[in-house]
Amino acid sequence: MDKSFWNIYKIFFKIGLLLLGGGYVILPLLQCELVDKKGWINGDELCEYYALSQSLPGLIAANVSIFTGFKLQGYLGAIAALAGCITPAFLSIVMVASILAKIVNNSVIHYVFWGVGVGVVILLFLAVKEMWARSIVDKFTWSIFAYALLLSVLKVSPVFVILSSIAFGIVYKITVKPKKENE
Amino acid sequence: MLFVQLIYEFFKTGLFSFGGGYATLPFLYHISETYGWFTAKQLSDMIAVSTITPGPLGVNVATFAGFMTSGILGAFIATTAVILPSYIIVIIVFKLLEKFRRNRHVQAAIYALKPAGCGLLTAVGVQIFRENVTNIWAVILFLGLLALTFKANRDPLIYLGISAVLGIVIGFCHLI
Repeated sequence: MDKSFWNIYKIFFKIGLLLLGGGYVILPLLQCELVDKKGWINGDELCEYYALSQSLPGLIAANVSIFTGFKLQGYLGAIAALAGCITPAFLSIVMVASILAKIVNNSVIHYVFWGVGVGVVILLFLAVKEMWARSIVDKFTWSIFAYALLLSVLKVSPVFVILSSIAFGIVYKITVKPKKENE
Repeated sequence: MLFVQLIYEFFKTGLFSFGGGYATLPFLYHISETYGWFTAKQLSDMIAVSTITPGPLGVNVATFAGFMTSGILGAFIATTAVILPSYIIVIIVFKLLEKFRRNRHVQAAIYALKPAGCGLLTAVGVQIFRENVTNIWAVILFLGLLALTFKANRDPLIYLGISAVLGIVIGFCHLI
């Protein structure tokens, strides 16, 4: 199986189809398809792409697909991988959205959504917990967390929160630890 | 004009959301408050739908939001707009990979970005909690599921499955 546009698209379509419960599970799927089955890239490269994808803006699954697709076949490879990854998502949501209005008045569906509304809070709790473990490492990061939470509760635009946090981080690193690790 | 607003808002969402699909939620709530294309309740329903349909959460919600504004064309436009920044940024980063990783300003920015993303997401969690956990049965269900998370199970489908089934049970007992 060669690394053609169509083959890359098909593999990422399959991965996109299996991406249940959010994009966080893409790493094991890619590991299985591209590293173990095809041997197109190695595991170290994949981990690097995944780590970088988490610190870049945008969706992690989309970012990893673009990295991998670009590595395989340049600009077109990136488009093939990205399109493949999101096609199942797009089609399934368009189908659900077109029937959602008709089914919300059904009492069973209504009860399901009532219950699942509570379940979603738990999923967010788990996501926050995982992000917390990766990001809150000292007093400074704790302060940024509190700052972002407060501003967000006060309905300040998240764009402002993100940009000001970047500025704080850079200023903090320049002023607080000057030339500590001099190459 | 609607399409321009859709492209602008979702491009912005893709460009500034750090930390995966859930990080898009603060932006989507902001959009729902500003434009009224969809309600906060619909958004929280869509989070639930997203977890049982394939694909990244951010794509699912963008597709849904676009669909709510102007059908399948809106869905296509919003989805494309939300992933376009990724395409541009990832390819630039790929080419600058070595430089990017060693630059200490970039590292400082990432160091501050991660807790900021976590704070933003916490605020979304608090908001969804206040919207969805509105009576004593919801509180009991919430506490039960919360206790389950300390059993170290992280599969989202388990929480959604349990809450859906208990939702039906509680509903048919006329307790909601």
